[in-house]
Parts: sequence; structure tokens; C-alpha cells
Amino acid sequence: MITKKYSRRELVSQLTGGLGAVGLAGMFSEDSWAAAAKAGAGATQKQVPPPQVKFPNFPPKAKANIVLFMVGGPSQLDMFDPKPALLKYQGQRPSSVDLRTERTTGGLLPSPFEFKQYGRGGVHVSSLLPNLASVIDDICVIKSMYTYNPTHTPARSLFHTGNIAATRPSWGSWISYGLGSENKDLPGFVILSPGGGGGGFGRSGFLPARHQGTFFDDSMVEPDKMIRYLQNKDLDKEKQRTQLDLIQALNQEHEQSFGQDEYLEGRIQSMETAYSMQFAATDAFDIRKESEAMRESYGDTPFAHGCLLARRLVERGVRTVHVYYGPGQPWDDHSKINKNLTERCPDMDKASAQLIRDLKQRGLLDSTIVTWGGEFGRTPVSESGDGRDHNPYGFTMWMAGGGVKGGMAYGETDEFGFKSVEKAVSIHDLHATMLNQMGVDHKQLTYRYAGRDFRLTDVYGEVVRDILT
Amino acid sequence: MPRLKPVLVRELYASAVALRLDIMSGMVPLSARPLWRPLLGLVAAIPLLAQAPSDLFEKEIRPVLIEKCYGCHSSKLKSPMGGLVLDTKAGLKRGGNGGPVLVAGDPKSSRLLKALTYNETDLRMPPTGKLGDDKIAAFERWIAAGAVDPREEVAAGAPAPAPKKGMDIESGRKWWAFQPVSALPQPKVRGTAFAKQWTKEKIDWFILAKLEQNKLKPSPEADRVTLIQRASLDLTGLRPTYEEVQAFVADKDPKAYDKLIDRLLASPHYGERWGRYWLDVARYGEDNPTSEATNPPYPFAWRYRDWVIEAVNHDVPYDKFVKMQLAADYMPDTPREDLRALGYLGAGPIYHTDLRLSRDVIETLVTDGWDERVDAVGRGLLGLSVGCARCHDHKFDPILSKDYYALAGVFASVVQAPRPLANVDKDLDKQFMLTTQKLFFLSYLANLLNGEPGSKPEEAAKKVTYYTKEMEKLRDSMLFLKESHPEMWTYLNGLARVPVVKPLMPKTAEVVVKPAAAPMPPPVRPANAAAARRGRGGASELPFMHSVVDAGVWVDGSDADLTVLDMRLDQPRDMNILPHANVAAPGAIVKRQFLTVLSTGDSTFTHGSGRIDLADRIFSDSGPLAARVMVNRVWAWHFGKPLVSTPSDFGTQGDKPSHPALLDDLAARFVQNGWSLKWLHREIMLSASYRQASHPRADGNAADPTNKLLWRMNPRRLDVEAYRDNLLNLAGDLDEKPAPLSEELDAAENKHRTVYGRVSRGRLNTVLQLYDFPDPMMSAPQRDLTTSPLQQLFVMNSPFLKDRADSLAKKVESDADNSAKVRDLYRRILGREPTGKELDLALTYLNKGTVGEFAQAILATNEVIFWP
Repeated sequence: MITKKYSRRELVSQLTGGLGAVGLAGMFSEDSWAAAAKAGAGATQKQVPPPQVKFPNFPPKAKANIVLFMVGGPSQLDMFDPKPALLKYQGQRPSSVDLRTERTTGGLLPSPFEFKQYGRGGVHVSSLLPNLASVIDDICVIKSMYTYNPTHTPARSLFHTGNIAATRPSWGSWISYGLGSENKDLPGFVILSPGGGGGGFGRSGFLPARHQGTFFDDSMVEPDKMIRYLQNKDLDKEKQRTQLDLIQALNQEHEQSFGQDEYLEGRIQSMETAYSMQFAATDAFDIRKESEAMRESYGDTPFAHGCLLARRLVERGVRTVHVYYGPGQPWDDHSKINKNLTERCPDMDKASAQLIRDLKQRGLLDSTIVTWGGEFGRTPVSESGDGRDHNPYGFTMWMAGGGVKGGMAYGETDEFGFKSVEKAVSIHDLHATMLNQMGVDHKQLTYRYAGRDFRLTDVYGEVVRDILT
Repeated sequence: MPRLKPVLVRELYASAVALRLDIMSGMVPLSARPLWRPLLGLVAAIPLLAQAPSDLFEKEIRPVLIEKCYGCHSSKLKSPMGGLVLDTKAGLKRGGNGGPVLVAGDPKSSRLLKALTYNETDLRMPPTGKLGDDKIAAFERWIAAGAVDPREEVAAGAPAPAPKKGMDIESGRKWWAFQPVSALPQPKVRGTAFAKQWTKEKIDWFILAKLEQNKLKPSPEADRVTLIQRASLDLTGLRPTYEEVQAFVADKDPKAYDKLIDRLLASPHYGERWGRYWLDVARYGEDNPTSEATNPPYPFAWRYRDWVIEAVNHDVPYDKFVKMQLAADYMPDTPREDLRALGYLGAGPIYHTDLRLSRDVIETLVTDGWDERVDAVGRGLLGLSVGCARCHDHKFDPILSKDYYALAGVFASVVQAPRPLANVDKDLDKQFMLTTQKLFFLSYLANLLNGEPGSKPEEAAKKVTYYTKEMEKLRDSMLFLKESHPEMWTYLNGLARVPVVKPLMPKTAEVVVKPAAAPMPPPVRPANAAAARRGRGGASELPFMHSVVDAGVWVDGSDADLTVLDMRLDQPRDMNILPHANVAAPGAIVKRQFLTVLSTGDSTFTHGSGRIDLADRIFSDSGPLAARVMVNRVWAWHFGKPLVSTPSDFGTQGDKPSHPALLDDLAARFVQNGWSLKWLHREIMLSASYRQASHPRADGNAADPTNKLLWRMNPRRLDVEAYRDNLLNLAGDLDEKPAPLSEELDAAENKHRTVYGRVSRGRLNTVLQLYDFPDPMMSAPQRDLTTSPLQQLFVMNSPFLKDRADSLAKKVESDADNSAKVRDLYRRILGREPTGKELDLALTYLNKGTVGEFAQAILATNEVIFWP
């Protein structure tokens, strides 16, 4: 239990000290902390209960978090968790482990990809991911993840909301609710996916609606196509300002005749914010403003755009950015897994590794926690001969930055890579750890709804301290 | 020095043996235990016995318990985690909800040690991190030595304090919200002269009495323009026209306002407005969040929506209104079209069940679906968080876990299915409905295994053949419908999708499969031009309605590769209690019945699934609660703020009413007046309290800033439906006719009222989202209205606003000059004349700007969205 109360100044100094970077001062001004402390800088006229505790409730390591979400469930066995036993017992079904999953599967399927050890911790990475291997000293590979449901939607829901039923608030909504926004011109919780959809996992559930995730289509590069109503098709900046001046003059008249009112004032303010947001967001969401070389270093796929955009957004104070590797659920390799991975890994590998490199070069990695993974992993046994089925029992995710140790692997699966057997980490533990790095005690981030206090971590979750610096 | 407690020689001996073994085996290096050394030296004669188990407890165990465990497992806590108390001797001995944690002498069987070793993923303590190996070894030794606990009993003979449970049933029966309601005498006020002059309805006396107690006065009556605008928006969601405002202002009849309310209540727009309020509570949606293979969209959900609108317009008594939504099919003489009411259950959200998953996973998913129903009924109709009792007895309210499962059993005994609109015989009705579901799942299985045969293709092929045959057999058994009810036959036939079987490849490993396309409900053919704007998962005009049929659902896991849903017509299912909602460890079976705390006498449900019994009990046994909950909702929709600030939680965790007597009196008279909503509207809207001006007042702001006491009317902003509808209407673009089916709100040509727009649970329309439309996955207690810059982007830049402005510009085109145009626009948009200053501002703007831009500016002002 953290009992010491930190002053805002203390928090700021510790945080910026931790960042050790110049050029961020503007983003971490006391004003922005003051704004953040107001728990959701958006104006509201409704008496929504604020968090019962002021967050951050201890000095945070990270101020932003990025999730690289491999929709469908990527194969740990072909990327991070080498298992020689798969080759040794190829095609067999050892009786020592109950390998049953929902679909009928066959014998053990070895990975054709070569594993080598990298970095100071000798972390295993397969030949599919040469770029991630090169930044492995900034990455902690968690090999012992497990989840509760083998179906995509419930498992995805658990990952995003802490519960398999698709009704609870998403983690970005919890963070927005707890920590507020650092940039009032941009949404606090952004989800980037090709097509701009995400199956409802940006929902704010019972939290106030302003905390919901905003979806943007990262298969496009023009901000006005990505953000609805961002730009006025008919009026230029000047003309729109003149129109807005008229609106505001009339609004002032109106409020004078009615009397002072929180909502009326809030909307007047909100109009001004929207006006400047048009330009701020147009700038923030435009990756074409990056140099050719920078864009080239990420790549030119929707996922690469998403990663680059994620960096631009956290740079501008957005708290949570989820980048979906979609569309659909491409990592759901029930068949032809080797061929698919060979085709799909290069752009994922290139962009994710570059994101880490880029964040680091800008001094942002220490204050940004990056999480990579899918809703579950895949089976060591084959499905349909050349695929792998869903595996919720043991799979790999990785984290980087934000006070997470680099160059290490954590936890183990059994000899076939099926079940987590050592230092198992649940999704709740992952949530607790991520919140902890953002300066939030996951047990204190609660919202009273339907008669009880709800948390992102439900009634579970332990911070995985072993992977923290 | 710790005190040494007397211990049994046997325990000392066992401990000594254990210790000696540990030390000899090298598990416990003596050097690592500095605390022991003095002891060992002191009692040299019996060196190893010196470390008595009690001592071991005091030195090694108790400090860890204090430091690491008492935080969550202390008798001082209201509800110790897992019911486990470790700071008393009795608590440690008794164990927690999961049973004893110690088996003296047997560390391996002791759950305490299992938790400490962190070997199991779901039982790891302490949660803050694994103890050091030496500490764990000490626990192991201590248990092996008999787990001696030298602490004294808290009080000899007295039972150890049991972990605090929620309110018991007997105390629960005395809870305020469950007490009978009766009309109360008019409260006394001191300023009788003022009261006589100010009050108009009984409500006002209650409000005035409280204001008086707090030395506040009510606000004067709002001006006539505000009154007609307020009332029109309230009852119809539409602003009055300029002409209507003028006529009302000029009407000298003292009953003019009463007549206005009557006229508005008679408008068909009233049902559109108040039906939509109900749809928030009923978590109305037209699909499921994912709309996968086994939880496809609900193409006929709009018929339920329309029924709600019609029922509200007809002022169907609230008790009957609710009963019909739960069990219209059990109510005698129900006209066929009223069975649309069952969409409340028939289009409730469900989860996708991939039947290749294990029995436990499937059972969990279907119980999640039933849980949704319990929650919707509990919070929506009873104002109780019954859902909290799914894992354990409710921690705060007098609701037992067995109560939860008694209700869940009702929903385990119904199956969602489309019902024909045509008036068919009751048995045929049921047979058809269940057959649609059986065919659906047979077809799903056959196509699934055909598309994805997995690693046992021969077996899969056999199953494909089997399920296809079963499907065809079942379909053909309904062939008799072809003549009498061709639409029913066509529907069934469409469900039975025969898989296109590919020849089996010789070598299994080479089989190339493509994921099968998800089986969809029968194709919906667009019947008219409007179909184009219905978008994906669109609504259908086929003559069916989403409904439920009584059939128990069991999950059959006998085939290791395939789980099957076993639906048995007219066989209700009593559920097992599932502690911690764990389907793998079922407890006792409970009969379907009403909540214990609310029941009078035996409340066992006896008719079919028990839906009708449930509906009846809500209005007999818990009638006062149901009435209070609804009166409070209606109050909130009129005043913007409820009397009980937690409208879906009247339990101990909810808020107490700000005006308890008023709530009770109004609830009692609501029941006396036949549960008539229109009666309640009149009672509220004719009151002086409702008619107050909403302007801020310094004394009020100071004494009661949240206006809990109602010293003024609450100024509000329009919700998304009223905002969009009014923008259309002010521009003269609104199509006031009810929209057929359900239309995409984003379609530019959709000019119908927002209530007819498509409500998707998977992908909620952006404008609805922007303006705080509640998540249609759950019953919404009330809307949290927010103000965000994204809303203003919609106002400034969206084509929707631009189109409205252009329409307006066209309408005033023929006006003589700019001044006339401005006046015209003010009348159309704001229902009033511009002030001199406003006219000046407008004319200055129009020197450079266009009329369209000016119209948009007016549409964008606060006054349009404000609801004073």
C-alpha cells in the first residue's frame, strides 16, 4: 500500500527526471498535470463520480501506453518459444500432456523457423523476426501468458476489458478515466485499425462516454479521411473563424439572458477546442509530415502507419494507443501457418522494432510502455496438417519501455509450449503491471456501478514485479 | 523474547523430528536462521526440541501472517477475502470459502502451502509476491509439525466472528424500498399563504416542505415561451413551431397549459419519445456485438421497437406493459401483434458459441447469456443488482446466490427464436420456433465441419453426413407448411443449408481448407428502395418477430470433439448453483422461484419456464418496489435528475431518495391510477415544481448547488434523438412518418426520427456515440450527458448540419432582404424574433457571409441544443 502522498511538483520532477530527456518539458508542464488531475479534461455538466483516489497514486514510470495487437492469436512457437521436443516427437501426441483444444488436432508440429539467442539475456527469437531480435535488449518476452477462453471474441474481450463478457470498459477507457488527458485537442484513447473497426473493444461500458476509444482507419494516411468531420469542406480557416465568432457572440448573448450555466460555458469552451483541434489533429494524424526516411523505416502497410502514428500521438500526450494488426483476424492460422507467417511477419517485425527504436531515440521509450501480443497463442499440435489451433493455456506476449526490464525472457511453458508452467502471468496480471507502470494501483482504480466497485482487473491481478526495473 | 506457550509433548516431538530432518537434509541451513541460535544455545539439553512448534509459529509464521496476510484476511475486515480469517485461531482452523487451508501434519495437502508455493495459476498467495524460499520452508515445517497455533481463542466458548455477510433476509424485508406504499397526507408547510398561491399539485407540497426546511423558495413560473418549448420537447422530443408558440402565448384560457399537455400526450410523437426512454432500460439493439455464426443479427428487432412505441402511445398500464415483454404468450386474449413485446427477451444480447469448444466453455457462454437476462430484469425492472449474486450471496443486499440461480433457471428454460406474425395454432407456433433453432444449429454444425474438418477429416465427414441428414429430416417434417404457410416453410427451408461436400483427399495432412463462411439467417431481400440505406445486418420485412419459446437448454458434452446444445420443448431447467460462476463445479439444484426477500409465501414458478410467474410476482410481491423504480425513472426523464440518484439500484449500495415521502406517495397513486404513465406525466407536468423557471439563483446556488431540493427546474441539453430530430425539423426536413424497418442514421436521405435509426451493439453509429447514447449491451439506468469537442466538430463540419443549413437557406430565399431572412430564420430555428443586437450581428455577418453559413451558425448555437 502506497501511503506517501506526493505533491504534484514532486511527481513532475520525478517523472521528468526519470525521462532524462530534453524537449519534453512542454508536455510535462505543471499545467498539463493540473489538467490531468481533473480526471478527464473534457467538460461535462453531469455529476459523474470522479475517481475516488487521485491518480497517479504513486510516481509513474510511463505516461502513455501502446498496444500492438495481433488479432487472431499469433504463434508463440514460431516466434519466441522454441521447443525442440516438437521435432523430437513430430507427428505424435504425447500422453503426458492433455493437448485437447476446441478443434480436432493432430500430432506435434515443429516450427521450421530457426531460433537464435540475442542480446544480453540470450533471449530466443526466431528467424521470422530479425528486427525485433536487434532491439531485444529493450524487450521483456513473457513466455508464460495464459487466458481463460479459447474463442476469439471472449478472449479478445478479456484482453481489452478484463472480462470475457463484452460489456466492461476497455483498458484505455479506464486509463482515460483515471489519469485524464494530456492533450485536450486529441482523444485520450485512440484505436488504429485498418477499416477503423474493432468489434466494440473501445467501449467505455459503464464509464462516462467521453472515455470511450476513438477508432481511426490506419489504412489511410489523410487525416480528414481518418477523422470524421475534421475539416470543413466549404470554409477556410479565416471564414470559419468569422462564423465561429458569430456563434460565440450569440452564445454569450444567450447566456447573459439565461444566467451563468456550466453546460453553456462548457459548450462555448468546447467549440473553441474543436476549432483548434481541427488543426492539431490534422497535424497529429498526418504521417506524411514525417520524412521519407522515417516513413521508410517503419514501412508502408496499415500496421506500419499505425505504429508511426502511435509514436506521433504519444508524443503529443495521447495516453493510450492500440494498433490492431488487421483487418479481420489475420493471425488466426488454422492452416498454412508457415507460409502465412513468412508473409505476414516482415512488416510486423519491421514496424514494431522501429517503433521501439524510434521511441528510444526520442527519449520516449522510458515513459511509454509498449505491449505486443494477441488474444491467445497457438497449439503445438497441428490442425489440418499445417495449421495450429487456438491455445489459451500458454503463449507469449512482450513488453518494452515504461520501466520494464529489457533483454529478458520471463516464465516458461511446458516442454511442448502448450501450457504455462512457470511464473504464469494472467491477463489480469498484465493489466495490473501496465497500470502500475502508469502510476496506478489497479485495486484502487474503481468505479461504482450496479451496486459494486468494478476494476479493470476484476478481483484478480498481481503486478509482475520481476520484470520491472 | 517471544513468550513460550505450553504445548503438547506430542507436537513438540513431531516438530523436533521434522526440524531435525530438515536440518539434516540441508534444507534449512542453521546459519540462515539467526533467531534460533540463542534458543539453541539456551536449552542445550534438548537442543532441537527448543524450537517448539509454538515458537516456530511466533517466530516464523505469525510475522508473515501479520505482514503479508492480515491486510485481506483479518477478522477486523467487513468481508475478508475468500472468507478467510487468519488473525484468529478459529479462523485459521476453519479456513475460507473454499474449505480448510490446513491439514495438520500434511503440508502437501494443505491449501495454504499450495498457495504459498505459487505452483498453481489461480491460487497464489500472497498476491504481492512469492515469499522467500526460507519462509515457505518454515510454513512447510510448521504444518508438518502439526500446525500448532498457540494463540488464545478470542473469547472462550464464543464463536469466532464469522466473516460479515450481506444483509440477511429478515432484515432485508425491512429495507425501505420493499415496504408497501400508500398515499400520504399532504405535508404541512409553515408559509401556508404562499403555499396556497404557489402549489398546483400534491407533488408541490412535498417539494415546498423540503425547500422550507432548507430556507429556500421555489423559482417563479417559467415564461410562456419556455413552458411550451419545455413541455413539447419533454413529451414529443420536438420544438413547437413559431406559430404554435405565438398561439400559446396569446391563449388567455386559464386551462391553456393543461390543454397543451393533453394535446402533446395525444400526439403520436409522444410514443416515439417515451418509447425510446424505455428502450434504454430494455437495452434495445438489433444485433449482437460480434454477430458471428451463432449469434447473428436480429433482423426483426424493429418490430419490438415499434411495439414499444405503440404501447406507450396507447398508455398500456405499466404492469401490463412489462408483463407482456416477459410473457405475452402466457397472457390470455393477447392479440397476435402484441407478441412483438417478447422482443425484450427475443433480441437480448447473446454470445457466439463455437460448438467445437469444450462443454465447460460453452456452458459458460450460455450462462453468460442467462446472466444478461437476470441483470436486465434485476436492475431494469426491480432496481436490484441481482447479478451480483451470481458468484456468491450478495455482499450487501439481501439477495442469495440461490435467488440468482432461481431466476437464471427461467432464462435457461427459454430459447430465442423468430415467431411468425401470422396467427397460427399455439402448438404449431412452438414447434416452428424450436425447429428454427434446431435447424439453425444442425446447419451450423454440418457446414462448420464440412468447411473446417480439422485433423480427423473422416470423422468430420461422417458427422457432416449425419447432421445434414438430421437437418433434412427435420426440415421435411415441416413440409406440411408449404401449402398453409408458405412464408414459414420458406424461412425454415432457408435455414437448412445443405453443405457442399468436397471429395475427401487421400492424405489428411494435405487437406487444404478454407474457413467456412458463417451460416447466416435466410437472405433478406430488400423489399423497397429504403433497403439500400439499411446497411449491413439490415432489418427484414419478412413476417416474423423475435421472440422466445419455452424450452430448457442443456449443454451436452458427451462427444469429446463437439458440444451440442440440447433444447427440450416445454421442459424447464432448474439450475445448479454455480459458486464463483464456475460451471465445472455445480452446487445444489434450485427451483425456479422469485427472490426470497420479496416473496410472500411459496413463490415457486409453475407455468412453463416461469416467465409469467416472474412477471406476476414483480407486480404482486414486489409491486411497491417496481412502482417506486418506474416512478423514479419517469421523474428523472421529466426533471433531468431522479429522486433516487441510482435509478437501477434501490439496494443498500444505491442512494436513498431525496424526497422519500414524495416518492412513496407518487408510487402509491401511480398504482391506484392503474399504472398509467399518462396519469403520471400530467401529475408531474401540471405541478408548479415542474413549471418553475430554470434560471440560476444566487441563494439556490449557494444552499443547494446540485438542485437536489428542486428550487428551480433543471436546465438540460437535448439528448441525441431530440437534437437530431430538431435539426431536421427546424430545417423543415423531418419526415414525421414512422420509418419502415430500421435505417442507417448516417444515410443522407434518412430524414426519419432518430428512434427509427438502426441500433447496433457491435458498431454503434458515430453520432449516437458522440452524444452519449448508452451501450445497448446493458440496461442503462440513465444517460451521462457530456460535452466534447468531437460533438462540436459534428456541428461545425458535418454534411448533416450543412444540409440542414442549405435547406433553410432555400426556404428563406424569396424573403425580401437580409433583415427579413434573418427574422425568418430566427422564427424557424429558435421560435422567436431576433433581438436588436442579434439582428445587428447577423447583418454584419451577412455583409460577407452567405445565408447558408449564417443559418448553420444559428443551428450551431447553444440555444438550439439547450433545454431550459
